[in-house]
Amino acid sequence: MATVWSDARGTQPTASAAARTEGATKVYGRGPTEVRALNGVTVAFQPGEFGAIMGPSGSGKSTLMHCMAGLDTLTAGRAFIGEADLSTLNDRDLTLLRRDRVGFVFQAFNLVPTLTAFENITLPLALAGQKGDPGWIERVVATVGLSDRLAHRPSELSGGQQQRVAIARALASRPQIIFADEPTGNLDSRSGAEVLGFTRTAVDDMGQTVVMVTHDPVAAGYADRVLFLADGRVVDEMQQPTAERVLDRMKQFGD
Amino acid sequence: MFRVTLKGLAAHKFRLAATALAVMLGVAFMAGTLVLTDTIGKTFDDLFGDVFEGTDAVVRREAAFSSPEGQGDQRGRVDASLVRTMAAVDGVAEADGTIQGYARLVDKEGEPVGDPGMGAPTFGGNWSDSDDLNPFRIVDGRPPAADDEVVLDKKSADDAGYRVGETATVVVQGPPQRVEVVGIAKFGEADSPGGASFVLFTTPAAQRLVAEPGKFDAVSVVAEEGVSQREISERIARVVPPGVEVVTGEEITAESQSDIKEGLQFFNVFMLVFAVVALLVGSFIIFNTFSITVAQRTRENALLRAIGATRRQVLASVLVEALVVGVLASLIGLAVGVGVAVGLKALLAGFGIEIPAGGVVFLPRTVVICLVVGIGVTLLAALSPARRAGRIPPVAAMREMAGGSSGYGSKLRIGVGAGILALGVASLLGGLFGGGGSALPMVGLGVLLVFFGVSVLGRTIALPLSRVIGAPLPRLRGITGALARENAMRNPKRTAATASALMIGVGLVGFITILAASTRASINATIDKAFTGDFAIDSGTFGVGGLDPALADRINELSEVRVATGVRMGSAEIDGHVEELQGVDPATAFDILNVEPLQGAPSDLGANAIAVFEDVAKDGDLQVGDRLPVLFKDTGTKELTVAMIYGENQPVGDYLLGRAAYDANFADQFDSQIFIDTVDGVSAPAARAAIEGVTADFPGADVRDRAGFKEDQTSFVNQLLGLVYAMLTLAIVIALLGIGNTLALSILERTRELGLMRAVGMTRSQLRSTVRWESVVIALQGTLLGLAVGVFFGWALVQALSDEGINRLEIPFVNLAVVVVLAGLAGIVAAIPPARRAARLDVLSAIVTE
Repeated sequence: MATVWSDARGTQPTASAAARTEGATKVYGRGPTEVRALNGVTVAFQPGEFGAIMGPSGSGKSTLMHCMAGLDTLTAGRAFIGEADLSTLNDRDLTLLRRDRVGFVFQAFNLVPTLTAFENITLPLALAGQKGDPGWIERVVATVGLSDRLAHRPSELSGGQQQRVAIARALASRPQIIFADEPTGNLDSRSGAEVLGFTRTAVDDMGQTVVMVTHDPVAAGYADRVLFLADGRVVDEMQQPTAERVLDRMKQFGD
Repeated sequence: MFRVTLKGLAAHKFRLAATALAVMLGVAFMAGTLVLTDTIGKTFDDLFGDVFEGTDAVVRREAAFSSPEGQGDQRGRVDASLVRTMAAVDGVAEADGTIQGYARLVDKEGEPVGDPGMGAPTFGGNWSDSDDLNPFRIVDGRPPAADDEVVLDKKSADDAGYRVGETATVVVQGPPQRVEVVGIAKFGEADSPGGASFVLFTTPAAQRLVAEPGKFDAVSVVAEEGVSQREISERIARVVPPGVEVVTGEEITAESQSDIKEGLQFFNVFMLVFAVVALLVGSFIIFNTFSITVAQRTRENALLRAIGATRRQVLASVLVEALVVGVLASLIGLAVGVGVAVGLKALLAGFGIEIPAGGVVFLPRTVVICLVVGIGVTLLAALSPARRAGRIPPVAAMREMAGGSSGYGSKLRIGVGAGILALGVASLLGGLFGGGGSALPMVGLGVLLVFFGVSVLGRTIALPLSRVIGAPLPRLRGITGALARENAMRNPKRTAATASALMIGVGLVGFITILAASTRASINATIDKAFTGDFAIDSGTFGVGGLDPALADRINELSEVRVATGVRMGSAEIDGHVEELQGVDPATAFDILNVEPLQGAPSDLGANAIAVFEDVAKDGDLQVGDRLPVLFKDTGTKELTVAMIYGENQPVGDYLLGRAAYDANFADQFDSQIFIDTVDGVSAPAARAAIEGVTADFPGADVRDRAGFKEDQTSFVNQLLGLVYAMLTLAIVIALLGIGNTLALSILERTRELGLMRAVGMTRSQLRSTVRWESVVIALQGTLLGLAVGVFFGWALVQALSDEGINRLEIPFVNLAVVVVLAGLAGIVAAIPPARRAARLDVLSAIVTE
C-alpha cells in the first residue's frame, strides 16, 4: 500500500484532485480496424465534487470511467486516484486500491445474490477483513432508508432498493471517490430520482466525491459539473447544469 | 438442428472433455479388466494345450467331491501298477505315472520360494522320461537319476539363485530334504507354468516325498499312431478297476482350462465390480453436467423452440450431444484400456498376485461390451436432462434466466427417494440374511438402490447439510468462507448431484474400512479367547501342504515348552457339503486351544470319532454317540461317531478329528499351524530362542508370539484392503473430476457476480479461496453421506457374517476421520482448475452490460 500513497508525481494545479487523467488514450484493435475510444483526455475531479460525464453512444464515456476507476488500463497517458498512478500498479494493488479507495455503483447486477443487503453493503470492508465504523455505516444505511431491509437478499428487494444498497455499499468504506455507471438506467423515474437524491446528499452532507456516467439529462442535472465527450475527446463542460440546459447541449450532438 | 448441436459441442470443448473423461475412465477400466482376463485366459489355454499336447488319455481316480473354492475336484491317488496295466493295452504306445503335490524350494537364505497362500502354487512332481508326456525341456544339466537329485523350473531356479550342481533344500512331506540340482528345465517356451514353482524328483522319490509310495496321482497314456483318443480311452476303460476313470487328452485339456477360467471368473467379476462403480459415478457426472448445461441454455433452447424447433428436436439435440460424448469417450476408453490392463497387472503384482500373461488379447466382445456400456450409460444419464430441455416453453426465450432451481424438492420426490432407499435396504438385508441362491444379486441391487435413494434424497438434505458443514467457514475464512458456504447452498440440486458421485466411492471405502477393522478385531478377539498359549507357528499355506508333523513333537520335547500341538487341515464331504476339518492331538490340543467342550470328552476322539461344533450339531440334530457319514477323498465314506460337541468354533472350525482319525483318512500329513505354551517362569526370549533352535531345521516355520501371530493372521486383511482402496481410487478420482466440472460450470454462470466482486475489491487469491472452500463443502458433503451409507453397509455385512467368525462391529473412527480430512484436501485439489479459471476472469467484460 505504501507505493500507492507515496507516489506524488502529480502536477501542482491538479495535485489535490480526487481523480484525474493526463492525456488518457485508449486504442482498441490495430491497423485498419483500430478504434480510438479515448483520444488524449485530460480531466480532474476535485474532492467533494459531483461530476457527470455525458456523451452519445461510442463517445468513450464508459471507457473513461473504467480507466479512471482502475478497471481497465490506458494505452497511453496516465490516470490517478489521489496521488496513485494507476499505470504503475499490478492487478493485486489495483484490486486493493479499488477495495479501499474507490466505490462503485453499476447500472445493473450490483449485488451479490447470496449475500444479504447488509452483507452487500459491508462487502468491500469484509474483503479487507475490517469491520468498518459502525456509526458511519448506520448513518449511511439510514440516509438511503434501508434500516428495515438489511436482512433481505437482493431478490427480495425492488430495483430502486437494490440501487440504494449499492450506493450504501459505495459509501460504507468512505472511499476517496465513487464511480457510478448509469446508476438509474434500469429504474423508473421515481426510483431514479430517489437514488440521485441520495447521491446528492452523500456529496453535500458527507463530502463524498462522485463521478457519474449517464446519458440521462435529468440525472446529469443533479451534478455540479458535466463533461461532454464525443469521439474520445472532451468537447464541452457545463457548471451547475440543469436538465434543460443539458438536453439542449445534447441535441447539438444529434444524438 | 444437428448442426446447431455439433457447433455447440465444438464451442464447449472443455465441458465436452470433462464429461467424456468421466465416462472414458470407467470404460477404460472395464476394457482393461476384460483385456487382462482374456489375456490370462489365453495364456493358460495355450499352456494347458502344450501340457497335454502329447497326451491321448489320462487315467485317475473318480472325483470324491468338488472343492468349493475353485480348486477343482478332490480325488485320491491310483495304484502304480496301473502303469503296467495300461502299457499292456493294445494300441498304447507309452504310459507313465504323474505326480503333482506340495513341495517348496528353499532359497539360499533359508526362505521358502513363492507364496502358495496368495500367489502361484508350489509343486513337487516326478520327472517323466517320455518326451510326449513330459512338458518340461531341460535347458541346463540332465534329468534326475538318484533320489536326492532334482530338476527345477527355470523361474524358481532364477528366483532362488540355484545353478546346476548346487545343493538345495526342499520342503516336502516329512523332514525337509537336501537335494542336488542336476538340471534346470523350461516349460515349453516359458520359464515356469503360470508362475508356479516345480521341483521334479525321480519317480520313487516323488512318490515318497510328495505323494504316497506305490501311488500316482494319474497315469498318462500315449496312443500308437492311428489310434484315436476316443478309441484308446474306450479300450483302457475296459481294464481299469472300479472307482477309476479315463478321460481323453482333449477332455483333460478342456477341464484344466475351464478350472482356471472358473478361478479367473471370480477375479473378472471382482474387477468388473469396480469398473461398474466407476461408470456409476461417471453417470452421475454426466447427468449433472447435462442438467447444468441444459439449465444454462434455457434461453437458447427456448429460442430454437420459438423459431420452430419441435420439442422432439430439442430433446434430440441434447441426446446427440450425449451420443457424441459417449462414442468418443468409449472409443478412447477402449484404447486406454489396453494400457490399463498392463497397469492392473502391475498393480496386482504389487499386491503379491503374480499373473502370467503373454501378448495382449483384444476380443471383439471387449469392443462390443465397452461401446454398448459406455454409450448406453451416457445416453441414459442424459435422458432426464434432455427431456427437461424438450419441455422448455418458447416463451422462456423472452424471460430473464432463472437463477437456478433451489429448495428442498417436492414431497413426491422425497417420497420416491425414501421409497427407493427403503427398497434398497430391504433388498440388501434380504440378500444378507435371507440366504438362498440369489443373495449376491440381491445385495448388489440393494447397494445400488441405497446409493440411488440417498442421491434422490440428496437435494432435500443438501441445503441443511451444506449449512452445517459450512458453519465454521465464516469464522475461519471471513467473507470468502461465508461466500463459499452460500455458494454451496444456493443450488442444492447441483450440490447434491455432485456430492452423490463422491458419496458412492467414499461409501464403499467406508464400508470396506469398517469390514476390515471388524474382521481384524474379530480375529484378534478369537485368538485372545481361544488360544491360551504363548507362541504359534503358521505355515502360511492355508491347508495346501504345510509343516512336518515331527516339528511339533520336537518342540514338545523342549524343557522350556509345557505343551505344543499341531493342527492339520483337510476337507471332506459331510451331508452333501464340502466341509473343512481340522485334525488335532486330543492329548495336547485342548490344553492350549479353548474350544469349550460341552458334551463328550476329548479323550474319546479316537480313530472312528469326530467332534462337532454346537450350532452344527443343533442344525443336524446330532447328539454324542450319533453316527455321521463322512466322505474322504483318500479313504471313501466312513461312519464316524460324534464323540464331542463343543461351543467355540474359532479358530478350529465346525468339525474336529482326533489325530488317529485324521491320520487314518488323509494320505498327506502336514501341520498347518502349531500352538505352543511355555513353562511358567521361562522368559519369552529364552523360550523363543529354544523353539527357534528347532525350527531352524524347518524352513518356512516362523515363530510368532501372540502379537505377531495376530498380525500374521490379519495381514491378509491389510493386503486386500490396499487392493480395494487402489481400485476405489478410480471412482473417487472420477467424482473429483465431477466436482471440478460442476464448479467450472457454476463459475461460468456466475461470471457477472464474480466480476462485480472483483470490481469492488476481491483479490484473485480471495476468489480462488472462495471456489476452493465451496469445493471442500461439496466434497465433505459427499464424504459424510458416503460414510453414513458405508457404516450402514459395514454394520449389515458384519451382522450377516457373524456365523463366519466376524462377530465384532468395529468402527475405526481414526481411519474414517482420515478419510474426511483426505476428502477435504481432495476437494481443494479438485477446485484448482476451476479456481484458476475464475481468477483469470476479465473484470471488465464480466461487469459491462452488453
